[in-house]
Amino acid sequence: MKLRITRSLALLAGAAAFLGAAAFGSIASAKDITINMAVPDWPPTRIMQDLANKHYKAPSGNNVKLVLDFIPWPNYYEKLAASLTSGEEKYQMAVSDSQWLGANIEGGYYLKLNKFIDADPELQAVFKDLHPNLVASYSTYPHKSDNYYGFPQMPDVLIAYYRKDLFCNADEQAAFKGKYGYDLPCDPQAMNNTDWDMINDFGEFFRRGSGDTLAGETLTDDFYGIAYQAGIGYDFNTMQINGFIWQHGAGIWDETKEPDGKALGVVNSDKAVAAFEHYLSLLQHMPPVVKTGTMDIFKVDELFRESKVAWIIQWIGFGESALSPDTSKVYDKVDFAMMPGLRADDGSIIRWSNIGGQPFVLTTWNSDEVTQEALDFCKWWLTSGTQTMFAKAGGQSGLRSVHTTEEYKTYRPWNHAFGPSLDWQKDVWHIPEFFELLVQQQQEFDKAITGQISAKEAMDHIAQFQDELLREAGRIE
Amino acid sequence: MTAWGRFISENRGPLLVTPALAVLVLMNIFPLLWSFGLSFFKYRANRLQEPEFIWFKNYFKVLTDDRVWNRFQTTAMVVSIDVLLQLIVGFLLALMFEKQFPGRRVLLMLVLTPMMLSFVAVGAFFRYYYEPTFGLLSQAIKSITGEPFILLASPAGAIAGIIFADVWMWSPFVMLLVLAGLVSVPKHLYEAAEIDRTSWWRRFWTITFPYIRGLLLLAILFRTIEAFKLFDIVFLITEGGPGTSTETIAVYVYRVAFQYFKTSQSAALGYILLFVVIVLTNLYLYFVRRRAEEN
Repeated sequence: MKLRITRSLALLAGAAAFLGAAAFGSIASAKDITINMAVPDWPPTRIMQDLANKHYKAPSGNNVKLVLDFIPWPNYYEKLAASLTSGEEKYQMAVSDSQWLGANIEGGYYLKLNKFIDADPELQAVFKDLHPNLVASYSTYPHKSDNYYGFPQMPDVLIAYYRKDLFCNADEQAAFKGKYGYDLPCDPQAMNNTDWDMINDFGEFFRRGSGDTLAGETLTDDFYGIAYQAGIGYDFNTMQINGFIWQHGAGIWDETKEPDGKALGVVNSDKAVAAFEHYLSLLQHMPPVVKTGTMDIFKVDELFRESKVAWIIQWIGFGESALSPDTSKVYDKVDFAMMPGLRADDGSIIRWSNIGGQPFVLTTWNSDEVTQEALDFCKWWLTSGTQTMFAKAGGQSGLRSVHTTEEYKTYRPWNHAFGPSLDWQKDVWHIPEFFELLVQQQQEFDKAITGQISAKEAMDHIAQFQDELLREAGRIE
Repeated sequence: MTAWGRFISENRGPLLVTPALAVLVLMNIFPLLWSFGLSFFKYRANRLQEPEFIWFKNYFKVLTDDRVWNRFQTTAMVVSIDVLLQLIVGFLLALMFEKQFPGRRVLLMLVLTPMMLSFVAVGAFFRYYYEPTFGLLSQAIKSITGEPFILLASPAGAIAGIIFADVWMWSPFVMLLVLAGLVSVPKHLYEAAEIDRTSWWRRFWTITFPYIRGLLLLAILFRTIEAFKLFDIVFLITEGGPGTSTETIAVYVYRVAFQYFKTSQSAALGYILLFVVIVLTNLYLYFVRRRAEEN
């Protein structure tokens, strides 16, 4: 009996020693790993930092620290590009606009993910669950190929923000019906069923001057009906105009048809010109800053939050600031709906739009260990649990298993518009020459926006320029 | 004295200058030579391709590019009007501050303030100042006309807006230089002119102007070089718009270098810009020397 007890004690001690050694061993081998990530400074990345700090624990057992370098949006591209090209190898990950994929992949900065996806069933499951339009836009280069480079960080779409206190006001509704013969949409479901002709009516109807009455109150300043982006900077008119172009059945230069895809005759087709004219026709109802060509997404956001406009089109990423009493005068008067579109003959609405949001990518200079940690972080980010937390805090999820649930629509007031909008998203070019194409196009669009040239002249100039540049680059034969 | 101590005492001058020279070579001369060499290659900083020597092709391409000439024209127009207005305003301010009056010191300090602000602050300020919905300028004019004033809606208005901002910022610099000249004029010359009952214009032309001429030329030189590089204010107020109407050559160089990443082409364009500035500088220096010889 004594022998048995001694043996048992010895076994117990041995087991304890083994467990202790294992535990000590695991602590001793846990490494401190820092992942520096370049991110634009706006709510979706701030939320990501917050969630990672609170909830992320690396499955490897390493002490992984995610350090986000918040860079203001207006100079984000230049700062990231300068860091990548300088060779400083500062960032292990970056949030990248989808248009930059080509330039930074050709430069050798973004890591191709195929071998990691092929070897990891969890990553394969993530890609299967992602909306295909997001995979095409955020992950692939060449566009729509099977080469994968990015994961969605914050998928974003253009939606309508509107003042429910005005659209639902009984006096305004009666006056609107009297003038236009149909009901002023009030709830999001009704607002989802709006086309551009109705938006034109909203713009005309809600334009009031100082001293006029609006929803029973006398205005002390001018008020405007509608606003959407029309700024010369970065892509702040292209993103909206592309939607009109696709809705009208026209197209931009198609990189997937390279080298046979043409710019001349496509970019400046009659339908494309009509689409641009349609876009321009609504500018008359917008705040006067639109005539300067500087009404970018930030100005549209500011005008709405300052209670100068009844209805705008904006990225979902700006939603939180519109709802915050700290930043918005209309925080308790806002509702959201899908972006309007062109009414088809059958009564349905064609809603093509340019996708927003960004993927995050891994850089090529990371060690295998850091790459694995970065991939683990991406997997954690794209789990249902994390994506749900992100969506509840104001972000969006590209996972169909998350954004298609009924519960998802209840997290934030714009969520009902997100899922259905994803089916209507296309993207602008991803080729390395995109910035030169973009700047020239922005400037030509701006000339038309500011009344210097006609829509037809603008489209002809753009098509001519693209033809020359893309031929020189060997992308059109 | 040890050999090391003797070496130091014999070469004190060169040794003192060496660190500054090293910094100059490292930070200025080497990058200049490097970028000059780069301008003869086909090279993009964001591509993996090896640089390819292409002789003067970048220079040829840049000089035959309509966009470049268009930006040079815009720059020349902005520089001419901008520098001229800065000279006039700066000169008038200097004449005002030459005299003693109550509150002169405080006023002088206020007038000098714009020059001390950062470009970004000035650009952001004027962007809001001109903004037609909230901006002060528009609100002030609207209180009279009833309509918002949209200065930046036309190319002419946008150029005027940029020039006004730059004149507001840099006229005090011209004023400082001119004021230094004005206070250096010996008082007895004015007293003699007073006794001779000479006209205001003759007094200015024969007494004041010779004392400030050199400084005025210096002001023109500095301000022309600076105005030629005008970037921050343009980018912040108009982003080169409407269309391309306010896109100066400096903004265009920035686009070619950091947006299009045509690195070697932007280097060639940068050297052409440098060449223009050097030519202008030498023209001014030639005039200064000629006047000095005449005197």
